[in-house]
Amino acid sequence: MAAIELVHITKSFGPKTVIQDISLDVQDGEFLVLLGPSGCGKSTLLRMLAGLETVSGGEIRLGGRRIDQLPPSDRDMAFVFQSYALYPHMTVRRNITFPLIMRRFRWWFHIPLLGGLGKRRIEKLPEVSDRVDRTAKILGLTDMLDSHPRTLSGGQRQRVALGRAMVREPEVFLMDEPLSNLDAKLRTTMRAEITKLHREVGGTFVYVTHDQVEAMTMGTRIALMRDGVVQQYGTPREFYQNPTNTYVARFIGTPPMNLIHATAGNGALQVGQTRLAAPTHLAAVTAGSDRPVLLGLRPNAIEPVGQGGAEILAGRITLVEHVGADTILGVRLDGAVTAHDDEGAPSSDVMVTVPGYSLLALGDTVGLRTTLDDAVLFSPETGQRL
Amino acid sequence: MGALSLRQGLHLAAILGLLGAAAFPLYWMFVTSLTPSAELFADRARLLPTLSEAAAYREVFRTIPVATWLINSAIVATGTTVLSIALAILPAYALSRFRFRGKGVFGFALFATQMLPEAMLVVPLYGIFAQISLLDSLTGLILANTAFTVPVITWILKGAIDGIPIEVEEAARIDGCSRIDIVLAVVVPLVAPTLAAASVIAFFHGWNEYVFAQTLVSSEALRTASVGLAGFVGELSTPVHSVMAVSVIYTLPAVIFYLFVQRYVVSGMTAGSVKG
Repeated sequence: MAAIELVHITKSFGPKTVIQDISLDVQDGEFLVLLGPSGCGKSTLLRMLAGLETVSGGEIRLGGRRIDQLPPSDRDMAFVFQSYALYPHMTVRRNITFPLIMRRFRWWFHIPLLGGLGKRRIEKLPEVSDRVDRTAKILGLTDMLDSHPRTLSGGQRQRVALGRAMVREPEVFLMDEPLSNLDAKLRTTMRAEITKLHREVGGTFVYVTHDQVEAMTMGTRIALMRDGVVQQYGTPREFYQNPTNTYVARFIGTPPMNLIHATAGNGALQVGQTRLAAPTHLAAVTAGSDRPVLLGLRPNAIEPVGQGGAEILAGRITLVEHVGADTILGVRLDGAVTAHDDEGAPSSDVMVTVPGYSLLALGDTVGLRTTLDDAVLFSPETGQRL
Repeated sequence: MGALSLRQGLHLAAILGLLGAAAFPLYWMFVTSLTPSAELFADRARLLPTLSEAAAYREVFRTIPVATWLINSAIVATGTTVLSIALAILPAYALSRFRFRGKGVFGFALFATQMLPEAMLVVPLYGIFAQISLLDSLTGLILANTAFTVPVITWILKGAIDGIPIEVEEAARIDGCSRIDIVLAVVVPLVAPTLAAASVIAFFHGWNEYVFAQTLVSSEALRTASVGLAGFVGELSTPVHSVMAVSVIYTLPAVIFYLFVQRYVVSGMTAGSVKG
């Protein structure tokens, strides 16, 4: 059983607290993605799991057993580094075999020549060499086993790093932004490979990234962090459809969710001069008297239509980006204000995604229609979901 | 390959000129050792060795305990090298990787030891060695030399260890290495080129050292080549012929050691470890 429990974990470096009271339950076999911007504490949390950083407060349990006081090698966790961290003086085979050699290590292995013979003997043991060959085959490294890391490409090196983690057959795989050094195309391939690896090898994966696409495509569960605090913990679908606050809403999705100042009351939402009938899932919030809210709309929930008519927001095109399958439009709304929390001052621009190649051009006036079926409402004061 | 351009020609000439300036004393030593005694002080210098004089070398070995001197020098130089490196690795690692109180002072103190000349320390060292029965022994000589090489080598190795990405060590920790395993199985192989360079420094120090060898050792049987060679310089006469022959013999092992080690002094060993 490789269920991980983080219980009230805190971490301070001197007076600075970088992890603030985090508690998470990660089920056995889960693919947890720790997501967040640079400096949010996600890598620190991962390193605490691995034992590379001490824990300032709280407990870490693996399968019910407390592990936060154990050295890294006793935690049955493998770690894949962003920078690969291969042993440059060893061949690919020795790199992958190294964790298995260390399990059978004797002090005299440090004696030159004698140690070399000892290590080679372990490398040649059938149970070791079979396991290494099997790992190499899964990762497509068989032809490179006798090469040194310096002769390999970035993608190949990352696969060696994965092989070194896999060969131990650990209960938990920890990965610290393992794809961020690869180019976009290779990253997509490796993303699929790691997901496949998780399916085939099993075990619990904890994966750190700042890339929301990686989080949404790979994770079975995501923890989004900001300033050492978990903002939301849930499935990718929950993140997309039910963000708990404006930060989560704006972090997930490309382009991010539009947040428009509106007034909710009497079963409707008033955006600028336009009155929109509230759907049933927003009935509770819109039932009472008028109150200010932030209306959260995904760009693909808004559709440009002809001008005029009921429940149509009027605006002017300020941006057109053709990205292949879709067109991204920026529309400046008439009489409405948007709240773009982290990105600076409020404006009136919303982002709209239109399937296919849109013929709309800069400066065109358009009407925008939204069904509000997937709309969410936030408090303008706290940013929390209403 | 076409003809050399003017630029290449000038480069070549400059290199040959420098090479000649560096190698000429060695060559002159060799020529002098093979020049008949009668012609040593002739008006016109001989630029080519007289190979028929090669017997002079056999004569040197027969009449002077050169072999013993060389063996003693080799023991001292090798001992200094091995001991210096063994003693310098751990402090170098600590200076590079650990944060501890007094680290800056420790680092500076290592440097400060280099400011003291050997001649200043020889008297107190003599006193200490006399008390702990290390006088007139090669062990004492090795220890004295090591004391001088360890600080330099510590700093050189620290610089090399600084260059090893910390992630490589963290990976080793995850893979089950203790701190000492990390140093011996990961750090030492990665700083091998620097170790080779450091061993050259230590070896040459031990091989060439004169002041301690002259003062701390008195037995004939424990005399090193540097002291032996200096002993030729007499008050009334100096047998130039023999001095040069022994000098050639004295120089060769050091040159051979350097040639053996220099192929390890290559950079780029960490290439391929982390992204780059």
